[in-house]
Amino acid sequence: MSALRRFWSNVLAVAYRETIVLRHDQAFIGAVLAQPVMMLLLFGYVLSNEPANVDWALLDWSRSDASRRLVADIQATGYFRPPRTVASYETGRALLRGGHALAFVVIPDRFAAQLERGRPRVQLLLDGSDPLSAARVGGYIVEVAASFTPRDQALARRGPPRLAPPPGPIDVRQRFRFNSTLRDRDFFLAALAGMLLTNVCLSVTALGLVGERESGTFEQMLAQPISSLEIVLGKLLPYVGVAYVILLVSTLATGLLFDVWPRGGIPTLAIATLPFVLASLGIGVFVSALARSSAQGVFISVFFIMPSFVLSGSMFPYQLMPHGVRELGGLFPLRWYQIALRRIIERGAGLSDVLGPMAALVALFVLLLALIRWRMSPRLG
Amino acid sequence: MSWRRLRTLLQREVRATLRDPFTVTMLIAVPLGTLLAFGFVLSTEVKHLPLAVLDADGSPASRRLVADLTAKGIFDARLFPTRAAIDRALVAGDVSAALIIPPDFDRRRRAVANGEPAPEVQVIYDGAEAVLAGNAEGFLRSLIAANGVTLTEDVHGGGRVAVVTRALFNPRLDGVPYMVAGTFGFVLSFLTTLITAVSIVNERIAGTFEQLQVTPATSVEIFLGKILPLGVVFALDVGLMMLVAGFVLGVWPQGSVPFFLLVSSFYVLVSLALGLLFSATSATAAEAVQKTVLFSIPLVQLSGFAFPIRNMPAIVRWITEVFPATHYIRISRAIYIRAAGPVSLLPDLFFLVVFAGILLWLALRSIEARA
Repeated sequence: MSALRRFWSNVLAVAYRETIVLRHDQAFIGAVLAQPVMMLLLFGYVLSNEPANVDWALLDWSRSDASRRLVADIQATGYFRPPRTVASYETGRALLRGGHALAFVVIPDRFAAQLERGRPRVQLLLDGSDPLSAARVGGYIVEVAASFTPRDQALARRGPPRLAPPPGPIDVRQRFRFNSTLRDRDFFLAALAGMLLTNVCLSVTALGLVGERESGTFEQMLAQPISSLEIVLGKLLPYVGVAYVILLVSTLATGLLFDVWPRGGIPTLAIATLPFVLASLGIGVFVSALARSSAQGVFISVFFIMPSFVLSGSMFPYQLMPHGVRELGGLFPLRWYQIALRRIIERGAGLSDVLGPMAALVALFVLLLALIRWRMSPRLG
Repeated sequence: MSWRRLRTLLQREVRATLRDPFTVTMLIAVPLGTLLAFGFVLSTEVKHLPLAVLDADGSPASRRLVADLTAKGIFDARLFPTRAAIDRALVAGDVSAALIIPPDFDRRRRAVANGEPAPEVQVIYDGAEAVLAGNAEGFLRSLIAANGVTLTEDVHGGGRVAVVTRALFNPRLDGVPYMVAGTFGFVLSFLTTLITAVSIVNERIAGTFEQLQVTPATSVEIFLGKILPLGVVFALDVGLMMLVAGFVLGVWPQGSVPFFLLVSSFYVLVSLALGLLFSATSATAAEAVQKTVLFSIPLVQLSGFAFPIRNMPAIVRWITEVFPATHYIRISRAIYIRAAGPVSLLPDLFFLVVFAGILLWLALRSIEARA
């Protein structure tokens, strides 16, 4: 019993020391405050996969009322800039090659006549070098064309095609649950806390522990009647607190600024965050055990953070990645946490729905503890 | 400028770089790792998405609709008995979309010939995965439309405009070439700046940089002695990445290889100069690394590497033009995928040259300043 009490009092003593150091580290406080602001602005206002301001070229051989109406209908979707009218096929292709247009629409001279007879056709060339945008823009134009009718009908003037699909042979009534307009913003912001916490947990622990070893204070602490496990735990404890502060700030900010509030319970969110923070801190400790200088520590953690953003599914859907890459992403704690975040924040899931990702995070944490023990034991003996 | 002195400086730099196993590992591991990891993250293809199906009709027509949807391997149908079960699956994220066929589907399908409105089906997407839902939507609607045409034998006659679509340069709209060409920009902007900054700060801390400055070597010679070996190393990195992209990922440059190498080597110079500048303003190596990292976040997000610039607000679009990386990534994609020549890329090339001039001049001045 007394051994356990001494263990915790040692851990708390180190945690107290670490908190004091932390409070005086202005660079750290600045980074912790500046990062959420920058990421919020980027993901809230700037970044999006939804096409906008699309440059396109038009070759209109028909020059009829009908062709002008088709062009106006494409314009009315709101995704496009006014088209650049070209006089020849070659000019249009050159615009695509030079990257000055994403799409090139060719309307044949028999368009108006074909429209009367019922088999009208137009040609659409896309710049495949930007595949995601090309696929979406192609979809918009096909949709506009599919709902185009021979005579101008007031009914045909509707908003973007996604909101009001044209009645086809089968009438598809569709609805997007959880994010009715499919805004990229909500998708990014749901995972924002995960990205922020990854950044903070990794860079701070990697820097802190290596810096301590560089300046010799780690050895000093080892000379005290205190074990290396107690030191590491004590050093990490304050960052768990920091992590929860960041979670609170980012939840409030996304809610107040962008009206993206968690649909699930706040306690669920708090509980699901704990194994993720522990696993991320564990990775930071492991990195610090690998690195020989603090520059190396930051270096390694940067090249861990980048792929974990990209491969975890926070920015791109992991479901679309090929096998191999998809499983590789499973090694990053952020993968499982962003799954949990999307369930809690976007879909309003309860604790029982996020037990799976939480179990994966705990497993990663245990694996990391084993790795840290293996890597650190010879040095601290 | 003396060749003998410069040669000595070059030898010194090459030895110092190769002696450090960490740097050498990073120089090989980072380009290859990012290439293989980033290459696959963007995809327009949808495969084996779990699709919840509630078939309340149970007629041959409704079963054929479901069979058509799953035939191409885009969707995997999973049958659910009730709406509540579908709702639970959507909340848990088990299915990406749900198709609900009403009980009167077949009856109404046959009534279309008598001028009745078309039969309805309901589709619910999991909007929480916005990108996925967007991709799935396109496939699902085109599949249902195709099925509807065969089911109703085209009673509408016509009037709707058919679009013959062709994607140039990348007919299957494969995401890999786009990301590969962008990764060149990412590696050449980020890794180069980082390694240069760290190497020079470490020299400043160790005092060897001051030692260099008091030798007869001029600042231009010190500058070249630093920049040239690193430049060659990164030029080799470019070659290595091109080979790996070609043999492993199957992405070869469509345009002129010498032109691509020329532009890339030139861009390496820009990044190296930037690294020199970061190191000149940092007291410790960790500080230099942090500065580079802070700079590189907008680089990844705003340079068009991951998200198209045209989708950003107007003010931000202007700001992105100030990053050299924006122009290099644009050029790299144009050469790699669209086989564009120098003429159509003149504005971007011009920007790069201007940036290079300014940055090299600033870097040279930072060496002359004796700290």
